[in-house]
Amino acid sequence: MKHRTKALVAVVCALALTGAFALVGCSGSSSSSSSSSSAASSSQAASSSSQKVELQIFAANSLEKALPEVQALYTQKHPNVTFSDTQFKASGDLVAQLQSGASADAFIAASTSSMDSASKNGSIDDSTRADMFLNDLVVCASQNSGITISSVEDLGTSSDINSIAIGEPNTVPAGKYAVQSLETAGLCTTTTDADGKISVTYNDSVANKMNDGADKVGTVASYVKQGQCDVGFVYSSDIYRYDGIQAILTVPANYHKAIKYPGAVCTSSKNAETAKDFLNFCTTDPEAQQIFAKYGFELA
Amino acid sequence: MTQDTLRMRFGAVLGNERRARKGIVMMLVCACVVALLAGMAAPHQALAATTGTLLASDGTPLVASTVSADTDGNVALAEKSDAALLSSASYGIDSFIRQNKGTNKTYNDAYYGYRWTEAGEGAFSVVVGDSFAIVHIPQATADALGIDIADAKFQQDFLTTLVAIDRAAADGGKELGKLSLTYYFTTSDTVTHGDYTYQFDVQLEPGYYYTTCTLAESDDGRTGAQYMESGQVKLAADTVVKEKATGLAALGAFFQKLDWSPLWVSLRTTLVAIAVIFILGLFAAWWTMRVNDRVKGILDTIFTIPMVLPPTVCGFLLLLLFGSSTAVGRWFIAHGLNIVFTWPAAVIACIVVGFPLMYRTVRGAFEALDPMMLDAARTLGWSEGKIFGRLMMPLAWPSIAAGTVLAFARAMGEFGCTLFFAGNYVGITQTIPIAIYFDWMGGQTDVALFWVIVVILISFAVILFINVYSSHSQRYRKRLGE
Repeated sequence: MKHRTKALVAVVCALALTGAFALVGCSGSSSSSSSSSSAASSSQAASSSSQKVELQIFAANSLEKALPEVQALYTQKHPNVTFSDTQFKASGDLVAQLQSGASADAFIAASTSSMDSASKNGSIDDSTRADMFLNDLVVCASQNSGITISSVEDLGTSSDINSIAIGEPNTVPAGKYAVQSLETAGLCTTTTDADGKISVTYNDSVANKMNDGADKVGTVASYVKQGQCDVGFVYSSDIYRYDGIQAILTVPANYHKAIKYPGAVCTSSKNAETAKDFLNFCTTDPEAQQIFAKYGFELA
Repeated sequence: MTQDTLRMRFGAVLGNERRARKGIVMMLVCACVVALLAGMAAPHQALAATTGTLLASDGTPLVASTVSADTDGNVALAEKSDAALLSSASYGIDSFIRQNKGTNKTYNDAYYGYRWTEAGEGAFSVVVGDSFAIVHIPQATADALGIDIADAKFQQDFLTTLVAIDRAAADGGKELGKLSLTYYFTTSDTVTHGDYTYQFDVQLEPGYYYTTCTLAESDDGRTGAQYMESGQVKLAADTVVKEKATGLAALGAFFQKLDWSPLWVSLRTTLVAIAVIFILGLFAAWWTMRVNDRVKGILDTIFTIPMVLPPTVCGFLLLLLFGSSTAVGRWFIAHGLNIVFTWPAAVIACIVVGFPLMYRTVRGAFEALDPMMLDAARTLGWSEGKIFGRLMMPLAWPSIAAGTVLAFARAMGEFGCTLFFAGNYVGITQTIPIAIYFDWMGGQTDVALFWVIVVILISFAVILFINVYSSHSQRYRKRLGE
């Protein structure tokens, strides 16, 4: 009996120690890695090619397939630079994440206004900001759906379309462009409050069809691909990113604000020089251009 | 040259009467066009533009190809859609790229038109316009491979291969096979079409070639083409086509590509969390037993509330507590505790949501113990520590084990709080449940399905273990009772 108690105490102690060590160990490692990366940046001015650098990029969700290929290309050409898990979310979410203290080296947004918010929050270095890509807005349907429309206005009248997916207009830039297009087509009205938050009132012709809650543009593509919605507003580049969907209409460019992807180095970056070089690489390297063009991104 | 072409076309269509008839009609049409153009001659370029004729750099009109792609052709396609070979053809396509967009961007401050990258030196380019497609094969490439670009057999084979690889690379975009286009084969490096000028093999820096499109008096040539494709023509023997693996090989390729990190992250996070939960849960349950009823009520509420709250609320509260958006969070960060979106955050999220299950189960078991027995131990002079270790723990052990397993399962399945507080970082905070969601959202249904199976297997193993273990401990208790 006594033996058993001792064993039990030993097990409890061991578990406690494991937990304590694990927690201490990981916090220790994270602080040491941050100190080593700051050392990297300080010596970077002296020798830029030998120090190991890991870049953390925050990028618009639509870049989810193209950017990793370009990152692999960059690592191939600059073996000392690697990329930690790049965050591909709605631009608005990334702005919020940067504001709440997440550290990143560079941010690529899918709209000028998202980058403006990041700039207002002091998350990015304005001097490094530049437009990187252009994109088009399209209405997509699943392949073989047979749905055809010839204008955005047709969304209100087509009997084949029972549900229309768009991104949440306040966080998802593609959703915001979609609302602008619907407003131009006379299918909704919007009001913007003092904080810049958009509220949308849909006309009766589409009010019952709208699904405007998708958390990122990729979710809209998934909804359409899997048949939860008949059509959705996505970028023309999303057509190449997702299997099983096709563009049935390219929304005329004068229906919405120009779709530009600005990029900038973040103020929290400890590898600002490398981050800047990577952003520059994306828009000037011919092989990078080849990858972006494959996925439907036009260099700005 | 035109006569040669016609004779060759005749030869190619001799075998098929219907096609021969069609060929003759087409030939007549061609002859008319050629005669008309000969009458116009070079000075009338403005007129040629309105009729939409494509002209080579020396002013001669391009010859429209009369062949059509054979859609039933047996074309082997590479998995990455970068190579294709028609079984009956003498030439294949290699290093194929599809450029859905070009760019109007200047190069070293000079404007070259709307430009697309080509697949390398000597590569062919296909510019897809609204009703025509220009297939440009550099003269040097044609000479080196002995290709006569006007040869109908070559054109037929090339188009069949091109249409097949274009369909494979389209990914939901436009397809050559579905557009009604007239194909023009040329070796001329410049082709004009009205106000549009197409240039091929424009070398802007050593080793990199571009196809460009300029619109007269404009700095935007994007309307000149829908998209562009490029690749290398190779002898059939030199064309390597890596086809997609099937069966067991495909399964092997799947596992080779699979990133196992979500499993390790899940196990590491959950094991550390469960160790902490075990100790904190026991201690909290023991402690609440020993305080007066009012304090007990308050403590009980605090310890249980994470179980009742939605996990996203827990995540949000943790984010407020530790993030830089609140004064408390900034104080923590200033004192070296910057854990938002790191692995410790994932562990804390698991602890917060798993702890109440452990605490409630253990407290229930402790309360069910006979208080007379505990008092009897006290009259024998046992210390509280001894009573806990030698009386309460062994008697409540099955419930403690059950609580641990419940908390383990809850921590393993944690999603909302972790995503909020620790984010989705592959290899650091991306646990299996988060991987499932993002794989599915990212269109990788097969990977998501794999992780679902893994989770089911782990859950099954845990339940099996606990059943075996409890039957074992019940036997022990029975023996004690005897």
